[in-house]
Amino acid sequence: MSSDVDRSSAGYVLRLMRPPRARRQALAYAVSLVGTLVLVAGFLPFRDDIEPLTKAFGFLLVVVATAGIGGIWPGVFASVLGFVVFNFFFLPPYDTFMIGKPEYVVVLFANLVLSVLISLLIGRAKERAAAAEAREAELRTLQELSREMVVRGPGEDSYRAIIGRVLQMFDYRAGALFVRDPAQSGGLREQVSVGCEPGAIAPGWDPRSTERAPERLPLSLGSNNVGLLVLTGARSAPSEAESRILRAFGDQLALVLERDRLLRKATEAEVYRQSERMRRALLAAVSHDLRSPLAAIKASVSDLLEDNVAHSPEDRREALEAIDSESERLNTLIANLLDMSRIEAGVLHARFETVDLNDAVARSLGNVHRVWPDIRIRDRLEEGVMVRADPVFLDRVLTNLLDNAARSAEERTSDVEVVAKRTDGRVTVRVVDHGNGIPTEEREMLFHPFYELDQRNRRLGSGLGLAIAKGFVTAMDGEIWVEDTPGGGATLAVAVGSAGP
Amino acid sequence: MSTILVVDDETQILRALRRALRARDYEVVTACDGEDALIEAERSTPDLVVLDLNLPGIDGMEVCRRLRSWTQVPILVLSVREDEAGKVRALDLGADDYLTKPFGVEELLARVRALLRRSLLDERDGDPPRFEVDGVVVDLAARRVTRMGADVHLTKTEWALLLALVEHPGKLLTHRWLLDRVWGAGYREDVEVLRVFVSQLRRKIEPDPGRPSLIVTDPGVGYRWEAEATQRRNRESSGRRAG
Repeated sequence: MSSDVDRSSAGYVLRLMRPPRARRQALAYAVSLVGTLVLVAGFLPFRDDIEPLTKAFGFLLVVVATAGIGGIWPGVFASVLGFVVFNFFFLPPYDTFMIGKPEYVVVLFANLVLSVLISLLIGRAKERAAAAEAREAELRTLQELSREMVVRGPGEDSYRAIIGRVLQMFDYRAGALFVRDPAQSGGLREQVSVGCEPGAIAPGWDPRSTERAPERLPLSLGSNNVGLLVLTGARSAPSEAESRILRAFGDQLALVLERDRLLRKATEAEVYRQSERMRRALLAAVSHDLRSPLAAIKASVSDLLEDNVAHSPEDRREALEAIDSESERLNTLIANLLDMSRIEAGVLHARFETVDLNDAVARSLGNVHRVWPDIRIRDRLEEGVMVRADPVFLDRVLTNLLDNAARSAEERTSDVEVVAKRTDGRVTVRVVDHGNGIPTEEREMLFHPFYELDQRNRRLGSGLGLAIAKGFVTAMDGEIWVEDTPGGGATLAVAVGSAGP
Repeated sequence: MSTILVVDDETQILRALRRALRARDYEVVTACDGEDALIEAERSTPDLVVLDLNLPGIDGMEVCRRLRSWTQVPILVLSVREDEAGKVRALDLGADDYLTKPFGVEELLARVRALLRRSLLDERDGDPPRFEVDGVVVDLAARRVTRMGADVHLTKTEWALLLALVEHPGKLLTHRWLLDRVWGAGYREDVEVLRVFVSQLRRKIEPDPGRPSLIVTDPGVGYRWEAEATQRRNRESSGRRAG
């Protein structure tokens, strides 16, 4: 809605709301006086040539004009004035109130009765039209306010805008909206105030105070009181029509407040449900991910401990290796959980150093190989690429990216590649896998902790690792994103500051 | 030699169980998801299925249900401690017993032995309808229980409950299953009733009702007829009779 329309419609409403009745009546009296005077002046030179009836119609014209402008009473005034002037100037014998012929009496009084009747009819029609117009204006105002309330969403800003409109339409200076709050003394809490400092308008009013009484508009739904709207200003008490509009507006505002309250409640419930679901999923995932390696370790160890079975040397070796790699997995997971809690707590501070990217990648490869002994990772890095990074953070980032790639590669038994590229002050490291890739719509969620591509498979898995990578990269003022691998698969890219030449 | 199908999506657990079972001369086949499990069960007709409930794709519960639609092979479910409801559901769907991760190999082997022995028993017709444990003799054919030679009277419901337990030696029977079987479908949630009758039955047939050895409680899940106790003793008594 443009502000022009706003202003003009508000002007229209104001004009109709308070018609300058007194001014119109004054104008009507003036018209009747001037009209009569003009008639007298116009007809006087020819008063013998014109039929009395014709002159009488002239006076009728003045009455119609007067009643049309000012309504009944100016009309009656014009009628009486015409009656007197007509008799005095135009009915022979002239310049007296005497009446010469009997039929002139009929003309004179018929003219008077006709004039008064016309005044009454026109006046009444005018009043009706004015009333209809006022009602229409009322409805229009109300409609405008309700549209405003419906169109705007819930929230303090909309309340402020709506109250602002009311102030503008009814010429109040300031207003405050109070909502019911059993926790507050007096049971009301100020929600918003417009045109004054918060708290400047009190919900109650002291009748002993010298100030003008504010307009206090209770907002209720049936017998249920939901709030109070207080309007203050230098204007007089609202007229009956204005009160009607304000009351209707109050009812609607009450409905809106109630709607917003229910909406808020529903949203809160939804947020709670979501976080509850999240908490459950997290618990299930943590329990599964911590317990799986533990289960493998426990089964292997308890198997080896049984004396009455002869294990082959290969079996012993395999069992011990499984125990080793599963312990490593547990260690990684616990480290990830601790990292995640540090990231979420916001206590990460990068200690920047110049780090040789090749060293960092080599260390991370070692970590990943301990968990995924069979994975083939080719690093295609040039020698001597130096980055500005926290060495510990960088290790964790690269390890988690490689671990993620190893997971998707394992399914397809394909290689993982690591490449680095230097571009104006930054080094971008890409970890390329040829797995199943990541659908575009899921990329945003990819770095969300505890998110898994396969929702049926409730695992912490790589979701936690990528969220941690993002946390560390952000702490190093870097960036992390996903790309498609040409020919299928996902490429995770990390950009950090370059430290080299 | 028995064939055991082990289903788990964790490679290392699968390998560990395979090692442990093979070292004890079981034939082992493996599957790492629900679909594989169903295919493998049909292909190699195992004598026992060890089934993890948390599987990608078709989950363990569904595997359980589908297996039961065509085979009575004993199913040992692996679950985690948090998943009480899942484990009870699997048992309701026809699983025979469960094991909570992480577990030791000796525990697993004990359950495997019990379930395999039961299924061998099932195939042998004409089970001895009589067993004796520490002076308590239960003669199912004659519907008679004696304790130290004296008759013990069992009510109709107590008999029904005893029969339901004895017919499934070693199997963990859920509250729901027992209530359904003995009292009817309308009583499925009436665990308290079941508890009262089990304790009455224990007072009549257990050698030491305070420390039950025949009707064993699995807290929150159900009851199990301890097959090993009666079978061992039955073997002894039939041996005596023969001699």
